[in-house]
Amino acid sequence: MSWLPLSFGFPAILWGLLALPVIWWLLRLTPPKPETEVFPPLKILARVLRREETPRQSPWWLTLLRLLMAALVVMALAEPVFNPREKLPAAGSGLALVVDNGWAASPDWERHVATAERLIDDAAASGQRVLLAFTAEKPNADIGPFDAKAARDKLRATKPRPIPTDRPSVYARVAAALDTMPGASIAVLADGLAAQGDDAAFGTLFSKGPASVIWAMPDRIATAGLTKAENQLDGFALTAVRPSSDATPRQVTAGAFDDKGRRIADAAITFGAGAAVGTGLMKVPFELRNDFAAIRIDGENHAGAVRVLDESSKRRRVGLISQAESDQAQPLLAPLYYIRRALSPFADLVEPQSRDIADAIPQLLEQKPAMIVMADIGNIPEPAHQKLVEWVNNGGLLVRFAGSRLAAAGNDDDLLPVRLRTGERSLGGAMSWTEPQPVTEFPKTGPFSDLAPPSEVTVSRQVLAEPTADLGERTWANLADGTPLVTGARREKGTVVLFHTAPEATWSNLPISGTFVEMLRRLVQMSRNQGSLAASAEGQVASLAPYRMIAADGTLVPPPADARPLTVGRGPVPVTIENPPGLYGSEDGVVAHNLLGADATLAPLARPRIAAPVTEMRYALNETHDLKGPLVAAALALMLLDTLAVFWLGGMFAGRGRRDAAARGAGAAVVLLAAGALFFASAPHARADDSKPGDDQAIEAVSKTRLAYVITGDASVDAISRAGLDGLSRFLVDKTALEPGKPAGVDIARDELAFYPLIYWPIDPKAAMPSQEAIARIDAYMQQGGTVLFDTRDQYAGGIDANSASPATQRLRDILANLNVPPLEPVPSDHVLTKSFYILPEFPGRFNGSPLWVEASLEAANPEHRPVRTGDGVTPIMITANDFAGAWAVDANGDPMFPTVPSDPMQRLYAYRVGVNIVMYMLTGNYKSDQVHVPALLERLGQ
Amino acid sequence: MARIGAASPPVGTKDALARARQRAFLVPDLLIEARRVVNTVISGWHGRRKRGIGENFWQFRPYVEGESLSRIDWRRSARDDHIYVRDREWEAAHTVWLWADPSPSMLYQSRTASVSKESRALVLVLALAELLSRGGERIAWPGLTDPFTARNGAERLAAHLTHAGALPHRPDLAAVRRFSDVVIASDFLDPVEETKEWLDTLARRGARAHLIEIADPAEESFPYSGRTEFTDPETGEKLTAGRAEQLGADYRLLYSARREELAAWCKRLGWSYTVNHTDRLASEALVQVHMAMSAESGYASGVRA
Repeated sequence: MSWLPLSFGFPAILWGLLALPVIWWLLRLTPPKPETEVFPPLKILARVLRREETPRQSPWWLTLLRLLMAALVVMALAEPVFNPREKLPAAGSGLALVVDNGWAASPDWERHVATAERLIDDAAASGQRVLLAFTAEKPNADIGPFDAKAARDKLRATKPRPIPTDRPSVYARVAAALDTMPGASIAVLADGLAAQGDDAAFGTLFSKGPASVIWAMPDRIATAGLTKAENQLDGFALTAVRPSSDATPRQVTAGAFDDKGRRIADAAITFGAGAAVGTGLMKVPFELRNDFAAIRIDGENHAGAVRVLDESSKRRRVGLISQAESDQAQPLLAPLYYIRRALSPFADLVEPQSRDIADAIPQLLEQKPAMIVMADIGNIPEPAHQKLVEWVNNGGLLVRFAGSRLAAAGNDDDLLPVRLRTGERSLGGAMSWTEPQPVTEFPKTGPFSDLAPPSEVTVSRQVLAEPTADLGERTWANLADGTPLVTGARREKGTVVLFHTAPEATWSNLPISGTFVEMLRRLVQMSRNQGSLAASAEGQVASLAPYRMIAADGTLVPPPADARPLTVGRGPVPVTIENPPGLYGSEDGVVAHNLLGADATLAPLARPRIAAPVTEMRYALNETHDLKGPLVAAALALMLLDTLAVFWLGGMFAGRGRRDAAARGAGAAVVLLAAGALFFASAPHARADDSKPGDDQAIEAVSKTRLAYVITGDASVDAISRAGLDGLSRFLVDKTALEPGKPAGVDIARDELAFYPLIYWPIDPKAAMPSQEAIARIDAYMQQGGTVLFDTRDQYAGGIDANSASPATQRLRDILANLNVPPLEPVPSDHVLTKSFYILPEFPGRFNGSPLWVEASLEAANPEHRPVRTGDGVTPIMITANDFAGAWAVDANGDPMFPTVPSDPMQRLYAYRVGVNIVMYMLTGNYKSDQVHVPALLERLGQ
Repeated sequence: MARIGAASPPVGTKDALARARQRAFLVPDLLIEARRVVNTVISGWHGRRKRGIGENFWQFRPYVEGESLSRIDWRRSARDDHIYVRDREWEAAHTVWLWADPSPSMLYQSRTASVSKESRALVLVLALAELLSRGGERIAWPGLTDPFTARNGAERLAAHLTHAGALPHRPDLAAVRRFSDVVIASDFLDPVEETKEWLDTLARRGARAHLIEIADPAEESFPYSGRTEFTDPETGEKLTAGRAEQLGADYRLLYSARREELAAWCKRLGWSYTVNHTDRLASEALVQVHMAMSAESGYASGVRA
């Protein structure tokens, strides 16, 4: 059957088709049986019936239908397969499938999956287990070995990621897992891009002596990726790379999209012959450029072809300088307050560390700001002045505000747009006839020409410009009496702007009007960043939440669940599964995190030298179709048709008179239903299985409230902890509504801690010091609201010397040295702990006397306010030396295991009450604290 | 699907004798049924509706000179000054030939019918016999009896039928004279021409015929559908209809055309034509036939053609 891509599983069955003539003969001979009726007026009927020949045989089409049905059944039994494929050689004890699911695999992902599925099918057919690893998944992802069904589920659940592959670590894991499957064959489904460490990775992977290697490479690898998009003076400069294997001159089109996904600009990127890097310029007006949110190469559906743009390409850095003492107590009078408030939504504000102008200006200029706002600065020291002039001449925008210092200072031709008269002019006031002046129409020449003049703004004090011939064209805003409010002048490439009034609301109410913001926005738009700022170690470190992520297919999507906040300011962050490319921040301001760096190259992956036999494969969709099911379905459908036809011939539908049409409709509906059922029955239902290892323990841990203790490694200590919490649990069940589950021992280095409200940690100096990671976990647990109860159990072990520390105490100090411990205090007498269930003056355990240390509350300094304590914080840490667990510990019979010191039954009872109070405090927070307000509240309610 | 109709006794077409015996068993029952039917019809036999020798009062008329004085009704004449003669209705014995079709097609009875056509025909004939006997008419079964007068005419006719054995398919009408009435109960399913041919004798003799068509409702409404094989009970001929429901309309047209043609022919000859469905009451047909016989109709009309 070379002319038809069809093969049969059991071709011998096709001989059954020879039976068709026999079936035909049988069918022709047995017509459907008629109803027999005695009918006297037959002669009359005969005259009618003469027109219709009496069918002695079934109609030909019914015969054909039945023959077809028989033929279909025979064909279906022969198990035909359309587009058969060759089975891959199955060798070895298993199959290790290593699939690249990085960004470069995304365009062809369906083919990759289909290819991998075929390999899994073949492995399943020969009973092999499958090791399935993806190179862009989490480093702890389960790689198997799986059986075929689990592998298929996992394969279908895996999607390409918009991140680079991490071959070395994944291959190392696969190689380690291959130890259990000696002689397995390895299938590498690569995305075709070389990456760092490939040689070592492949060396590791093939070091186990695989039985055979299947090597699959895409025919075409991602053809272009955007590496740079830079906002330049005359447009957006785009840089793209393509694989070095691609040498023909080529042109790709890139489009710019705004934040709503509308395409607002186009540019062509040209690759020269043999050049791997292409450039293009997107010439669009400046206003439009500010709306760019992403740039995408057309026709490339992978994450590398998309570049998101953050504010750094359009957001300006604005330096702010003022000479006024910054008095935090009166922020509204600080000169920079309104400027800061107006600019911060759309500009990055840079302020100098130093208060000294001579130092502050060079510090600012180092930040290469686009614009510097100087609020009421009079004289500028010479070296700083010189630098500032250079900066302005190179394109900086200097905005100055008047004020008493400027009014008193002399003229400065370089850094003021106009010559000023010394002193200031005051309008209005008790001793004056003049009125505060409003602002008139903005002149058409200035940058504010499209703003409406604010009617509510009046200026009562200003500095005046010397009238000159060109004052009019330098004036950007006027007062009603014609005196300039804002003047500006070009200085080579830069601009100098002066607001003739003060930046705070003392001289005019301009700074508190909306027009002020608009004016500053216009000025910021005029400015240009003076170079890019290198990230510095001492820069501001911020953690930005994921905002919009680039999906593997290049679209912008909401962040996936495993995206983590991006830490900016500590140098470049690699693109990983936790920091996928995209925008981080919030809608007020974002930072772009792009896949391809400016110096990225796309090198094709070369097949390494492999000792084992290699089968080359291409990616292809699964075009093999098993025709057995469709054939059987068609036969069933024909059988249904045949049944309907027999009913019809037998007059089942007709002859019912008016129900005729309804019956026919019902018949059609039955046929449709059957067809639909067949269709849906054949559609496979694939459901992703999102269960993870460890779910059982987690569900068990959270289904009941459980007390937890830290496993120290010392069996006796752990047994006491367990028995102690067990005894406390029993006491809680007896006395309170809380019925905790069995106490849980947690390994702080490995177990999830977030499930437990309280962790009891007996300090054992003999145990090993917990690792830094474990302590970090404890720290995170405490930060997230958990509480650790440290118990040094050494109340009477300390020496007489107050400074001496027992080994346990010393160990506790070592541990706490690495934790962010808040200020502590012994439980004050009005603390919630003293009344959360029982009224307790002290907190004894087996020993008595050690205070219980908790986080110091806010009003620790002024004790008179104590009864009305505020704050929701439950202390994250408690420290005692009284050996609570020892006092609580009971044996299987419920009898205490250890005597108290001194041996006093009441002390044990108090110890249990302490435990109850602690647990209640953990679970209810300061609810009891609020109870003290109840009398006051009731009194206010008038009761 | 249950069958719509069946021949009530499953008889062989040739076995006429057996069928006659079957009929003989039926006759006593049918006689009783006929009596019951007769009682529901207006009892009494109306006279000739003209003056003549009889027992019943017909009219008073003025005396005419020359008449016998004994005919004067003195009681009436005493009331006023005129003299009246009492006329009596003419009541003369009359010969009525009765015949029911014994052919196998009459054995048909469908599900909706209460009796078979033969049984209905016999009931009607016997009921008429009873009715006529009470009225003093002479009744006869062509080919079986000569005209006779008896108070128990129906019983005697029944006895004759019981002992008759096989009956011919067509009545022997040679003995029918002028001024006789002939009652023929049959299904008249033969082609109209054949029927007319054998009835033509009566027309020529000047006898008055009353045709009672006994029809089964299934024959008239043709409720068959689907693939159906039809069998003729007389000839055993079979016909298979692929979709019987499609034939219904044409068949009903032909069926009613036959009936209309016969009825029109009868009307032209001054005969009566009555249709009785076996799902209706026998008395309906009896009343109609009775009325038709009572009606004064031209014996003299004869054959007009």
